[in-house]
This record gives sequence, structure tokens and C-alpha cells, in this order.
Amino acid sequence: MFSNFTNIVQKAQQFIDPTQGLNLSNSDRNPSKASLFQNQFRIPSTQNPLHEINAELTIPPSNQTSGDKDHDRGWHYAGKLHLSEGYMCFSTTPSSFAQSASVSTSSAFTGQTHGGGPSGNGFTWPLCAIRRVERLNSQNFQFALAFTTWNGLLYEDTKDTKAKQDGREQRIIIHLAGTRQSCERFCDGLKKGLRAGVGSVGKLRKVVAEDYSEYLLRTEDRKGISPPDAGLGMIFRYPGDPKKLRDRAKMRLWAEYLRDNGRNVTLIRQPTFHKLIRVGLPNRLRGEIWELTSGSIFLRLENPTQYEETLAKFEGQDSLAIDEIEKDLNRSLPEYPGFQSEEGINRLRRVLVAYSWTNTDVGYCQAMNIVVAALLIYMSEAQAFFLLSALCDRLVPGYYSTTMYGTLLDQKVFEGLVEKTMPILWDHLVKSDVQLSVVSLPWFLSLYINSMPLVFAFRVLDVFFVEGPKVLFQVGLAILRINGEELLDATDDGTFISVLKSYFSRLEESAHPKSENPKLRAVTRFQELMVVAFKEFAGITHNSITELRLKHKDAVLNNIENFAKRTAIRNLGPDSKLLSTEELGALYDRFYNILYERQQRDMMLQQDKIRKAKQSRARASEIFSGGQDEVEKGRVGLGPSTSHMDYDAFREFLASTSKWAISDSPGSSRRDTMSESDRPTRYQSARRPTESISPWGSGPEPAEHEFLQRLFKKWDVDGNGQLTLQNVVTGLARIKGRRDIMGTITYFFELYDDDNDGKVDREGILRLSEALLFLSRRGLEGSLSPSASTLALNGDAGVVRESQGSLPPGASANERFLGSVSAFIRRCFEYADPDHPNNQASEKFQTENDAEDNSNAFAIGDDEDEDEEDGGEEDLLGFGSPSGSPSKAQKPPTLATEDTQDSQRSVSKAKSEAANAALDPAHPLHMTLPTFRMVVLADELLEQFFESSFPTSFHIVDGVPSTASPSAGGLTTFSSLGFGSRPPVPISPAAGGAGRGLRGVMDGIITDGMRVATEVRRRMDEAQKELEKNALPGQKPDEDEEDDEDIGIAVGVRRGPGGASGDSDSRSVKSSDLDLLSGADAEAGAVKEQEANLADKDPHGGKPLPHRPATTNEPGVVEFEG
Amino acid sequence: MSESAPKPSSSVKLVLLGEAAVGKSSLVLRFVNNDFQENKEPTIGAAFLTQKCNLPSRTIKFEIWDTAGQERFASLAPMYYRNAQAALVVYDLTKPTSLVKAKHWVAELQRQASPGIVIALVGNKLDLTSDSKTADSDEEGADGEDDSGDARKVSTEEAKAYAEEESLLFFETSAKTGHNVSEVFTAIANAIPETSLKSARGAGASNTAAGRASEEQRVNLGNARESGSKDNCAC
Ligand SMILES: Nc1nc2c(ncn2[C@@H]2O[C@H](COP(=O)(O)OP(=O)(O)OP(=O)(O)O)[C@@H](O)[C@H]2O)c(=O)[nH]1
Ligand SMILES: [Mg+2]
Repeated sequence: MFSNFTNIVQKAQQFIDPTQGLNLSNSDRNPSKASLFQNQFRIPSTQNPLHEINAELTIPPSNQTSGDKDHDRGWHYAGKLHLSEGYMCFSTTPSSFAQSASVSTSSAFTGQTHGGGPSGNGFTWPLCAIRRVERLNSQNFQFALAFTTWNGLLYEDTKDTKAKQDGREQRIIIHLAGTRQSCERFCDGLKKGLRAGVGSVGKLRKVVAEDYSEYLLRTEDRKGISPPDAGLGMIFRYPGDPKKLRDRAKMRLWAEYLRDNGRNVTLIRQPTFHKLIRVGLPNRLRGEIWELTSGSIFLRLENPTQYEETLAKFEGQDSLAIDEIEKDLNRSLPEYPGFQSEEGINRLRRVLVAYSWTNTDVGYCQAMNIVVAALLIYMSEAQAFFLLSALCDRLVPGYYSTTMYGTLLDQKVFEGLVEKTMPILWDHLVKSDVQLSVVSLPWFLSLYINSMPLVFAFRVLDVFFVEGPKVLFQVGLAILRINGEELLDATDDGTFISVLKSYFSRLEESAHPKSENPKLRAVTRFQELMVVAFKEFAGITHNSITELRLKHKDAVLNNIENFAKRTAIRNLGPDSKLLSTEELGALYDRFYNILYERQQRDMMLQQDKIRKAKQSRARASEIFSGGQDEVEKGRVGLGPSTSHMDYDAFREFLASTSKWAISDSPGSSRRDTMSESDRPTRYQSARRPTESISPWGSGPEPAEHEFLQRLFKKWDVDGNGQLTLQNVVTGLARIKGRRDIMGTITYFFELYDDDNDGKVDREGILRLSEALLFLSRRGLEGSLSPSASTLALNGDAGVVRESQGSLPPGASANERFLGSVSAFIRRCFEYADPDHPNNQASEKFQTENDAEDNSNAFAIGDDEDEDEEDGGEEDLLGFGSPSGSPSKAQKPPTLATEDTQDSQRSVSKAKSEAANAALDPAHPLHMTLPTFRMVVLADELLEQFFESSFPTSFHIVDGVPSTASPSAGGLTTFSSLGFGSRPPVPISPAAGGAGRGLRGVMDGIITDGMRVATEVRRRMDEAQKELEKNALPGQKPDEDEEDDEDIGIAVGVRRGPGGASGDSDSRSVKSSDLDLLSGADAEAGAVKEQEANLADKDPHGGKPLPHRPATTNEPGVVEFEG
Repeated sequence: MSESAPKPSSSVKLVLLGEAAVGKSSLVLRFVNNDFQENKEPTIGAAFLTQKCNLPSRTIKFEIWDTAGQERFASLAPMYYRNAQAALVVYDLTKPTSLVKAKHWVAELQRQASPGIVIALVGNKLDLTSDSKTADSDEEGADGEDDSGDARKVSTEEAKAYAEEESLLFFETSAKTGHNVSEVFTAIANAIPETSLKSARGAGASNTAAGRASEEQRVNLGNARESGSKDNCAC
């Protein structure tokens, strides 16, 4: 359907990692060592593998009843010992995370696990759980360390002797096998970590106090304490018949295991541990073992009070997620008595709400209610909260995200696995058009909890938390395999579904009811399911699933993105109808692409920073790059991590569509003139330019100008400093969609009418003029009539001639536009109204009523023949002077030009006076919309600017035309044309030529009192410096008209911090002008048809727009109403 | 289930769409099992059910795809409305936002689903409104007075006007009382154009291959609405 966005995304990805032209993020293909390490041991993402060493773990003999007993020396496991900032982990699975280790070595744990899960036999100890380490003097080994833990001692008076006596002290011995140097290095690291860990013992105490094992194994003197919360089951009973589940027997076995091997955080995993899990956990320990095997207990240890704090922090606040949660509270495991009670419902509400606040990207997703409800039967609220985090972040990432890409991806993976492992069944499904995902999607999304009877679903979960997501696939495949024959008979979705439904309802029954063998008869269908899942599908590993996920990822994301785009565009509201579908599509792509790229850059810069920081503090050999996991964050399909555009992003967006929004001096500055308080978040992100990554990515650096800020503010209708796609569409639709000059003029006026009172004050007028220059400095686009030059300029022949000395013949419309703007300012001040009607009442120009009377004075438009051809103008002018009488038709009060030097002079003089008076700071003035309209319509170039040039300057679909130079070359500004390049010269009223034009403007401004003058001078100074810096010896400005007062430059583009530097202005004026000229010619040619079209549609004019005779060769000049 | 001579039988794929908790699953449950559950669990992904509907001239077997309503499940929907010949777009007439969502679904279906798809707009939970006791027809849903326990927030006129504009069938129902539920399905059965009814399954498959986006082929349901409630489902 479309591929634009995807292409951009792909490009962005290559940009991130140029070594991979694949559509895979670096993190998928090449997960960082740190994230592999964290995944193997299920420890928090703060942990990095710092040291590792081969080692042998010895568990001294006790009264254990299982394990490989090595006469009286206890149990031995060879494996690897890892050390991170806060954890010491031992595993018999030989993964290595050393920098030199290959990817396959680092991900050894992702293969077959034989029931032991990724971390295998061993332990995962927080360093704060280690109480003491002694170095043993052993003859066989250089380094033998004895570790004593806090196991069972956190509530004692820590009388060592007593603990030792009753054999509760947990003590293990680890022999390090490595060079002396590496052993010492490990020990050094360990010492450091242990010291740091001491501070966390308090946290540890709080965390384990909530674990049932502490109660189960309590000592005689603590018999009185009440048991910790082991879920709603303690109040409402646990599902299933405890007798049938053999809960007591299981509990006894677990008590023994925990006594011998440590409890909760100090537990040591031996084969018995995994066996005990496979036969099903006992009710009261289930929650604790889940949080242990999933690693969520370590999240809780990191921040034991996070749950309560989150609830307190957001108490009373509302959110969409909360609304959604409320809808489902009564619909979560309604058959369980606990969820027919307030108690259960309230717990469920609190956990879901707290999580929705901590992970706003996920918020709340249906199915989470079911999963959390299930968890709450076995664990406390806080435990469930952290386990939900572990689920969303690690175990089933993306399942519950706003796009559910993880769910969709795993459905594809599952289908792929069915195809591979059961090709006949797969063919059958395809042939009969059965939608496998109807049944399988809920399996995955609610972790089988709603599909099977609860007791069985919980046993799947028992294994799932140890082994990870592959269990979901293994069980799913096993279900299909076991029911294969019946499913082959099903030819429609209905039958297919009912086969499986009836299977799930009979999981309790014997799998071999007719068998002679009583043992075989005793095997339930559920047991059969587990055997098939974990034996027959043992080959389904984390690794193979990752491979398949990579394979399908892009198709899935593209699908989601297509859908999201389609939906988003369709729901954009009535304004969007003003833009074409193509434009909307392109706008959507642009919008999200900018957000995406910006996030990528943020992330890279951040990583860069982290890397650098690390390098400076740690030895290089110890560093494993971390934090690359989220390289793809920001892609729409992954769930919009942001769908809001801040001001900087907005600038970047504009720079990709409009050439005027591109900075003239790339790299110079990103400073904004908005005050810091306007945008509190913008600079808190660690986006700092580095040598390698430009803060603006590969695109052009956006310009900074007050106009952009105003536009942003206008589009930001909610006033929260951020734009949604809707805001941008609406904003653009208003400019681009209507194609109506009056609308655009009004729009512009409103941009500068700060207080919405229908008046733009003196400062506003200046700023508005600046904006016009800013917008035109790279040349105008759209329908520019070439004849404009004659209209605007031929009046003052002298000026033309005089100016030809410094300007190339046939100055482009762009250059003439400067003249128009100059005239615009002057007129604005001339016709502005005083703020107080009794001030200057007699002198001020009455926009509407006086038009007729004054027509002679200010605006005898053109010479006669011109006039005849341009009869259409009156239509436009009608807006400026609605009271115009019919007799005026022949000679409309065109403000456009003043055609003879004489009239010009007289007008200039008269009006200057008027203006000067009006500009008196004692008499503030303003311009109204009708005045503004009139002034604009008086000048053909300005008119064209609003008519077409400005609206067409947003290139939504194609982006900025590639011909537009992103550098400062070819800027049309006063300075680039040589004006104001002279040192200040006292004003001489008699001076003529181009200078007179400027002075004409300045006459008014000068008399405007100190404030304006100061402002103007400041700008002039900046510009002057710029010019001096850039001036080439060969560049010769105007000859005689040296009376350009320094103020003359005031109307030039404001030299904002990011503004024009004029670097390439240093090229000779002529060549740069020629650039413009050729561009202008091309435009002029291309524009005609378009103009005709526009004329047809023009809702206001009614008649086609006037077509001026093309006089392309007319020598044009930049003119300032000389 | 009265049955005379063997009538032509054909299956119709029908999909239910609408905001979460508007009562899609409840409508299906009422239609299929004539049952109602106060705390129906949210639909995860989608559910599939079938039910026959006997018209005087033929028997229609509805293959009903009941989808999940939460916004984020929306991207799964195309999977389920693929090849659908009919759609029930449901809103909760006590929740104005749900009508907005319903309109989005209608637009999505009109653009993306099979060209001839028959769409019915259904305002559910009529039992929560004051007019539910008296009203047997849908005409008198006067709105605005929010007193006397009337939870209605979407007026019949508004929804009906929209439905007419978009050529949708329109009903107000209560899954709880069963009011108008079978009428919806009957009307849909009647509105399915004869031509798109092939016997048994796979009817839709060829349909979609023909081309998705060609909206011109949409059937004008204006007449179907009138004929809608004449034949009743005998189920
Ligand atoms: N009063 C009343 N309640 C209803 C009616 N229909 C459904 N409900 C209730 O509304 C809630 C949601 O109903 P469901 O049928 O699950 O809604 P759904 O649209 O399938 O929701 P999802 O599957 O989440 O999309 C349940 O508590 C129902 O009991 C009705 O006609 N009247
Ligand atoms: Mg439902």
C-alpha cells in the first residue's frame, strides 16, 4: 500500500548501524553482553557482567536426600562464576560474557535447557545477601572462598554460634579456577561489590519478610508471627483440591529443600529444585518461587517501596488506562470467589493502576487483568506488581503494548513453528482457511490462564517462569500435536475450536484410560501434555524462537504501521479533508519519522555518553557495552513511545518540508529564543552534539526564527508545548488547504495578534515584516508573475537606472520582494491607527473610509494601460476599501506602487510626516486586519506571496526541493544585495536612489523614539559585523547612495543566533543573484498553468486572477520605493 | 426450530466490532445461547461461535467472529473481518464515546472490508434507558432529559441519522433483556444479497479476491432496512 515510512525507517536503521543493511536492529541480531547476562540470570537491567571466572561450587553435606553425593564432601558443580555490580551468579550453563566471547558462547543459555532454565544449576545472589567471605587455605586450589549468607539470619540477633549450632548457617565453598591474576582480579571486584552491598541489607530484610519461606522455616522463637501475604488464596482458598494436588506433601518436600539449599534470595538451584517445580508448586510457595524464578524479586529488592509509593504518588488521578481498567475489574476470573469480593477487586485495581502509571507505554491491556488476577491468588500486591513488570519487560515483551506487536509477532512465530513441526496439519489449516490465531492468540496473551482450567494453567506458569517464553510455544505445539487427528477432521473454525475446547475440559482425565498398565492409566492428559511439550518439543529453544522473531519482525511491524497509519489518517477530523490523501499520508510519515529519528539520535547520544563515562572510570577490558536493547524504540509499530512533537522536532519537521525553515548557518547554534520556562523538558534530554552524531541527524539543520515559534504556538492549540499529528494536520490544513488569499492573510495577521484583539502593534508590525523577509530569503515559490517588476518599479526610472549599477539586470522577483516588504513596513506605519482615537485623529489614515479621499495621495497604482488590463484588481481591493464607490472602478486606490517620482516623493513626504507623528512613542499605534489586508493587496508581490508562495512553500509530499541549497548560498536579504554594507552615514533627506527607499522607511522609524531606534541599531550592528566579516574586497556596494543610515538594515533578516551568517554571501553578489534568477525564471514558467487552476477555485475573487503580460526581460531591481 | 422442507442453506461470516464492554459478546451469547452473564470476561483476541437463522426462504448459518474491543486490539481486527459478509458495529447507548468508536469502525469496514459487506449499527444496553420499558419500537428515544434513572447518552435520532447517511441497518438492543437481538441478526440475514450467498463455507473467499477497495460495489442497504424486520429468525 505504501512503503514510504518503512523505507525511512530502514534508512534510519542503517544510519544507526551502517554495518547492517538488514532491517534488524543491532540489539536483536547482536544483543549486548550485558542484556544476555541479565537475561540468563533474570537480574535487573542495572547489572553488567564485570568479572567472570571458571569455578567449582561445593555445597557441604547436610541432611539432603537428593543430588549427586560425593561421599562426604557434599555436592559439586563445575561452572562459571559471574560478578556484576550487585550480584554474584553461578551457573553450570557455560555462557561467557567476556568481551572476547563469541555471540554463541554468550548466548549458550538460549539453547536447550533440559529443565533447568537458562540459569541452570547454581545461584543468583544479591551481594547484600552475602554475610561473610573467607579465603580458605587449600592445598589443591590457589583460591578457595567460603561464603556465608544471611540465609535465615536476618531476624536473629545474629549470634553466630547459635546459628552454627543448629546448622542453619548457609555456607558454601567456591574454588576459583584461573590464573592467579584473574583470581585476584575477581576477588578485588568481589570485595568492592560486597562493601557496596552492605548498605542494602535493610532492603533485603524488608523484601524477604514478605516471602512465605521465611515463615515456613521460622525458628521456634518466632512461631508467633503471622504469615506473610501469600495471595488471595489464603483468604478465599486456592483453586483446586489440595488433596488431589498433594499440596501437603509438596510443601514438606519444599521445606526440606529450602532448609538445605537456602530460601528466596539465597537459594541454590540444584536439579531437585527444577524437578519440584515440574510437579507443580505448592499453593503457599507458588508466588515466592514465581518471583524468584522470574527474577521479579530482584526488581522488588532494587526498590522495595516502589509499589506503595507509586500508588501514593498518583492517588486520585485519572487516566485512560484507569477507565479501561475499571471496565474490566468485574470481568477478571469472575468464577474465583476472591474476585467476587471487594477485597480481591481492590487488590486487582491497585496493582493494575500502579503498573499503568509506572509503564505508561503499556498502560493497561485487556488480558493483563486476567494475568494479574491469577497472580494475586498466590502473591501479595507488591509481588504481583513486580512480576507484572518482569512479564512486560522481559518475559513477554510487546505483548501488552499499545500495538501488541509482541503478540502479533509471536503468533507469526507460532504459525511458523506449526508449519515446520506439523506440516500436514498446517496444510490442512491453510486449505480449510482456519484461523489458527483465534485459538492460539489468547493462549499466549493470557498465558493459558483463560484457556485451561486454572489448576493446569498454573502448572504451565510454574515452568514458564523458569524457562521463559519458549514454554508458551512448546505447550501450544503439544496441544496441536496431541489433538492432531481430530483437528485434521475439522474443516471450519467452529469445529476446530470445539475440538480444543473439549480437550481442555478433559485435561484431568487419564491419557490412556484403556491401558492395562495402571501406571500408564494414572497418567493424566495434562501430564501427557507436559511430556509432549518438553520432551517432543525440547528442540524449541529460546534461540530458535529469537531467530523466527527476527524473521517475521518486519512484516509484522509493517502491517501494524499500515494499519495505524490508515486509522490515524481516517480519524484526523474535518480539517484533514482540506488536504489530499497523498498529503496526509506523507504528513503522517514525516511526522512519525521525525519523532522516530529524534529518539534514535537521543538514544545514540545517550549511549555514547554512557560509554564515554564508563571508559573514563573503568578499565577498558572490563567494559561491556550496555543499553543497546532499545535501539528501535520509537518505531510506530512498537507502540508510540511518543506521538508528540516538541518545538525542536517541529523545527526539524518544517526544515524537511520548507526551504525557509532550513538554517542558514548549519552547526552554528541550536539556541532557542524561547525562554527556558516555556519548554521545561527540552534540554533535559541528554542530547548533546558529539563529533560523530549531529543533533539534527542527516537532515538539514532547522533554522530558528521567531516566526517558527509563533507558528508552533498557533498550532499548539492545547497550549502544552507539544503538537500531535492532529495539531500539525490542522495547522497545515489552515495554510495549505484552503488556497484562499484572504484566509492566509488573516492567518498571518493572527499569528502576530498576540492578545487576539484584532490589533497588531508597532513591534508586531516589525516582527511581521521580518518574518516576510525570513520566509522569502531563499526565494519565493508558487505563482509569481514576472510582470510584477514593472508594476513595482517602473515608476521610478531614476532609481532603476541608478540601482543597475549594483544589481544584475532583471533582478528576480525575490529581490523585488525585498522592495515590497520595505514598502510594506512603511505603509503599515503610515496607515496604522493610533491606539487612542483622540490622538492624531485627524491625521491618521482611516483605512476604510478615507481610502477614496486619499487615493491620490498614496496609491495611484499604475499607468493607464496597466490599469486597463488589471481591472480585476478591484475585486481584491474591495476588501481593503469596501466603501469604494463605483466611480472608483476605473482607478482603484491601488496601494501597490507609486508611479512617478514626483508623486512618490510627495506621498513619501506627506506620509512620512503622518507616520512620524503616528510613530511617536507617546502615541502607541496598531494595525487592524483590514489595514493589513489592504497593505498586502496593494503590492502584487505580497499578494502573490500570500496567494500562493507561502502555502506552496510547504512541500509535504516531496520534501524540500533538492535544488534548494541548504547553506546560506543564494539568500535574498538586504545585506546580500549590498544594502547597508556601508558604515553609518548621517541621514541626508536629499539622498535619492535605492538609499532613499530605505530612508523612506527609516524616516518613520527614526522618529519613532528611543525604543525602536535602539532595537533597530542593535540589529544593524549585528548585521554590520556579519557583513564586515564576510565582505570580499571585490564586492562593491552602491556607489552614491551612501547615505544609507545604519538603520537601513533594520528590515533585513534578523540576525538571530541561528540566523544568516552570510558565509556564502561572500560570493560576489552577481553570481548569487544569477542563481536566484534562473530559479525565478523556471518558476515563472511553471507557474502559469497552476495559476489558472487556482483562479478557477479561488473562492473569493470569483473572477480569474489578473494575468499580467509577461515581461520577463524587464530589468528588475530591488527597490525600496525610491 | 421449525423445519419444513429442506431449504437452501448458506453460511455467512459475521464480525462484531465496537468499543470494549459495549456488550458484543453478550449480544452473541444472547443470540446463540439465549443467555446473559453479568460479568462477562473481556474477549481476548477474538471468539468464534456459530448459529443458524431460519428465514422463510432459506437457512443462514452465521459464523460469528466476536472481537476484543480495546483500542489496541484494533490492529488484529483485519484478521477477523477478512472475508466477512456482515458486520455488527456495536456501541453502548449510555456512552457517547462508544458511538465515535463505532463510526471509526464503520469507516474502516467501508474502506477495508469486502465490498458488499452488510453493516448493522447496534446501540446496546437499551435496558438502562427509561424508554426501554415502554418502547417496543426504536422511534421514541427522546433524549436530553437525564433524569429518572435514564442513562441514555446517545439519542436514537442521532445514531439513526448517522446510520441512514451511511446506509447501515440500525437497531437498539439489550443483550440483557434480549430486546431486538434476534431482530438484528434476522435483518442482516435478509440484507445479505442473494448473489453473495453461495452454499456453505468459502463463500466469502472469492468475494474478497475480487478486490477490496472498490467501494462502488457497496450495496445500498436502504431497502434492506425496511424489509429487515419482516422475517424473523426462527432461532
Ligand atoms: N445492562 C446491560 N448490561 C450489558 C448489556 N450487554 C452487556 N452488558 C454488560 O456489559 C459488560 C460488557 O459486556 P461484554 O459482552 O463482555 O462486552 P464486549 O463488548 O464483548 O467487551 P470486550 O470483549 O471487552 O470487547 C458486561 O458486564 C455485561 O454484563 C445490556 O444489554 N445491558
Ligand atoms: Mg467481548
